[in-house]
Amino acid sequence: MTALLTQAHDVDFGVTLLFTGLLVAMILCLAFEEKIHAKKSVIVGLFAVISLLLGTAFHLLPFEPIVIRDHEIHLPVFIPGIDWNVIAIILGSSLFVDVTSKSGLFTWIAIKLTKASHGDPVRLLVLYGFMTVVFSAVLNNVTAMIIVGSLTAVSLEKLGRKDKLLGFLLIEGLLTNVGGLLTLISSVPNIIVGTKANISFLDFFLVASPYVLVMTIVTIWMGAKFFRIQGLKTGEERARARELVGAFDENDGIESKFFFWFGAVMLLAFVGVIASASVLPWIKELGMGYVAMSFGLIMLLRYKAVADRFYQAVDWDLLGFFAALFVVINVMEHAQVLHLIGDGLAKIIDLGPTTGAGLVLGTAAVASSVTDNIPLAAMLAQILGENEAIAGDPDSPFWWSVIFGANLGGNLTPIGSASTLVAVTIIHKHELSLSFARFVRTALPYAVVQLFFATVYVLLFIG
Amino acid sequence: MSKVDQFESVFRAASKAVYHLDAPRIRKVLLVTDFDAKTAEHFSYENHQFLAVIEAIEPDSVTWDTITGDEYANIADLLERVERHKPDLLLTYRHLKSDAWKWPFSLGEYLDVLTQAAGSPVLVVPHPSEGGAMPHAVSDTDVVMAITDHLTGDDQLVNWSARFTAPNGRLFLTHVENETVFEHYIATIGKIPSIDTDDARESIFAQLMKEPTDYIESCKGVLDQSDLAIEVLPIVTIGHRLETYKKLIEDHEVDLLVMNTKDEYQAAMHGLTYPLAVELRSIPLLLL
Repeated sequence: MTALLTQAHDVDFGVTLLFTGLLVAMILCLAFEEKIHAKKSVIVGLFAVISLLLGTAFHLLPFEPIVIRDHEIHLPVFIPGIDWNVIAIILGSSLFVDVTSKSGLFTWIAIKLTKASHGDPVRLLVLYGFMTVVFSAVLNNVTAMIIVGSLTAVSLEKLGRKDKLLGFLLIEGLLTNVGGLLTLISSVPNIIVGTKANISFLDFFLVASPYVLVMTIVTIWMGAKFFRIQGLKTGEERARARELVGAFDENDGIESKFFFWFGAVMLLAFVGVIASASVLPWIKELGMGYVAMSFGLIMLLRYKAVADRFYQAVDWDLLGFFAALFVVINVMEHAQVLHLIGDGLAKIIDLGPTTGAGLVLGTAAVASSVTDNIPLAAMLAQILGENEAIAGDPDSPFWWSVIFGANLGGNLTPIGSASTLVAVTIIHKHELSLSFARFVRTALPYAVVQLFFATVYVLLFIG
Repeated sequence: MSKVDQFESVFRAASKAVYHLDAPRIRKVLLVTDFDAKTAEHFSYENHQFLAVIEAIEPDSVTWDTITGDEYANIADLLERVERHKPDLLLTYRHLKSDAWKWPFSLGEYLDVLTQAAGSPVLVVPHPSEGGAMPHAVSDTDVVMAITDHLTGDDQLVNWSARFTAPNGRLFLTHVENETVFEHYIATIGKIPSIDTDDARESIFAQLMKEPTDYIESCKGVLDQSDLAIEVLPIVTIGHRLETYKKLIEDHEVDLLVMNTKDEYQAAMHGLTYPLAVELRSIPLLLL
C-alpha cells in the first residue's frame, strides 16, 4: 500500500531540499530531546503536522481513494503511510509483557538467578549479563534493562557492594543492545528492517545468535576486568553473601500459582508462534502484529475488569512516535527526500558487499549513536527496499549492516538507545556520577570491540 | 521511569529480613532493691522461682547478687555499684526509695536512669508493696509477649523473648501498627490528587502487615527447629497501641512482656515503652 502511495513523481529540487531540511531538523530535535524537554511523540508529531501541511501545499500527497478488490476506501492521507504491523507488534508485545510480568514470572527468574550466584560478584555479573541478553531478546531491551537494572540495584545494596553498581549497570546497558540483536522482535530496528527484508524469525536468530553469544562473553569479561569485579575470597565472605541473597523470596511476587504457570506457558507459546509465524497456516497471512495483539489480549483476560490499568501503562509516547514517524517518512518519500539520500547511499552500496556493507554498518552505528536508531532504521530500510538488487535478497549483508549498526551504535553514547538511557537513569537515581563524556569514555572500548567484530562477522559470514 | 521504581519495589519486597537465633547468655543476675538484707533475700527467693527459666538450660550456672537499700544513697552510687557487678540482667521494681508507687504516673527516678544508663536489660517486676500483680504473673514465664511497633528484623527482641519463655511455653511475637499515625498519613494522601487514596490505603496496610508477618514466619521456622521447645504465635494488627496491648495482655494472660527501651535518636526511653511501662504495673516487664 505504501508503494502505491509513493509512486515517483516530479518534485522540484528546491522542494526536496526544503523537506530534507525538515528531516534534518527533526533528527536534531530527537538528538537533543533531553535538552528541549519534549517527548519523542510530540517532536515527531509536530514535524508530521508540518510535513503533511507542506506536502499538501506543494501537491505532493495523493488524496485519491485507495482501491482494494474493487472497493474504494477513503482514508485520511496520513493513515496508509503508517506501518500498522509494526505498531501492532509493539502494542501487543508491550501489553503481553506488562501483563505477564504481573504473574511474577520475570521476578521469579531474576531472583532465582540471584540466589544461584550465591552473592559472588563475578557469578552475579555473569548471570545478570546473560539474563539481560535473554530478556532483551525475548521481551524488549527497555523492559530488560528496567527489570535487571532494578534488581541489580537492590541486590548490590543488600550485598553491601554499591560501589560496583555503576559497573554492573553500564555493562547491562551495553548488553541490552547486544541482546537486542538476538531475534527479529528484540528491537524495533530489527522489526522494521527484518520485516522489510523478509527475514524470517528463525533465520534472523540463526544468523545473529553466534555473534550475540560471543559478544556477551567478551563484554562481561571486559566489564569484570575494567570495573575490577572480583570473586569472593574467604569462606566467611562466601557464607555471608550466600545468606544475604538467600533472604530473597522468589515466590513473594507470585499472587497466583496458576497465573504464574499460565504466564510461563504463554511466554513460551508467544516465542514459539512468533518464531514460526512465517510458516504457520493463517498466521503467516495475519502477520506478527496479529500474534502479538492476540497474546496481549489473552493475557488481559486475567485482568479483564481492570484492563484499563494496563492501557494506561502502555508507552503511548513510543507508539505516537512511531505513527508520526511513519507519516513523516511517507511524506519524505513523496518529496523525493529518501530518493536523494538513496542516491548518496547508492554510491556506498556500489562499493560492493564488502566495503559498501562495512561503510553502511559504520555509518549506521555513528548515526544511531547521536540520534534515535528507529527513524534511521526506518529510513534506511525504505531506501534499501527500493534497491532492486537488495530488496529481493534477505541474505544481503546490507540489511544486516543496518541491523548491527543501528543496534550497536546505541552503545557509543548514553542517548544512543532507549535502554542505555534507562541504565543511565538508574545510575543517576542511585546518585552515582556519570556524565555524557564519562559514559562515552567508558563505553567506547566495548562499543569499538563490538562494532569491529560485527563488521568482521557481517563481511565474513553473511551474504 | 516509574517502572524502575515499580520493579525495585517488587525486589525490595522480596528481600526479607531473616531471623537468626542467638540466645543471650545470662550468667549474673543483679537484684536492685531498696529493702534491708532480710527482705531482699525473700524478694530474691521469690524471683528465683519466677525466673526458673534462666537456669533451665544450664542449671546452677547463674550467680544471683543483691543490692540492698543501705548500699546506695543516690543514683550515682547505684550506677557505680551496678557497673562494678557487670550483670547480664538487672531485676528491680518501680519507685526505688520512694512511695510514689502509690500513684501510677511514673517509673521513679532510679528506674528511669537505670533503663537508659545500665548496659544490661532491666526486668521490672510489680512493686512488692503494691500487691497488684495479676494472679498468673510472677509465678512462671510460660506466656511471654514481645511487643514493638517495628518487629521486622529485631532479632535481639525475639532472642531475649525466646530466652525467657519457659519450656513448652508460648511466645507471642506482636506488632501493632499505630492506627492514629496510619490514618493521619492516609488523610494526607487523600489530599494529593495524583495518589489514589483507596489504593494507597489498601497497599500500604497490606505491606505494613506483611513485613512483620513474614519475619515472624522466619522466627517461627528457626525457633521450631531449635531445642527451646516453645510455641511461637504471631499477632500482627493495627490499633491504638496502648489499648491494644492492654487487651492482648489480658486476653492471653501474659506472664512477661518484653520490649525495647533504647532509642538511637533520643536519650529518654523509647516512645511507646514509657507509657506502657508506667501503666502496665500488674505484670513483669523486660526492658531491653
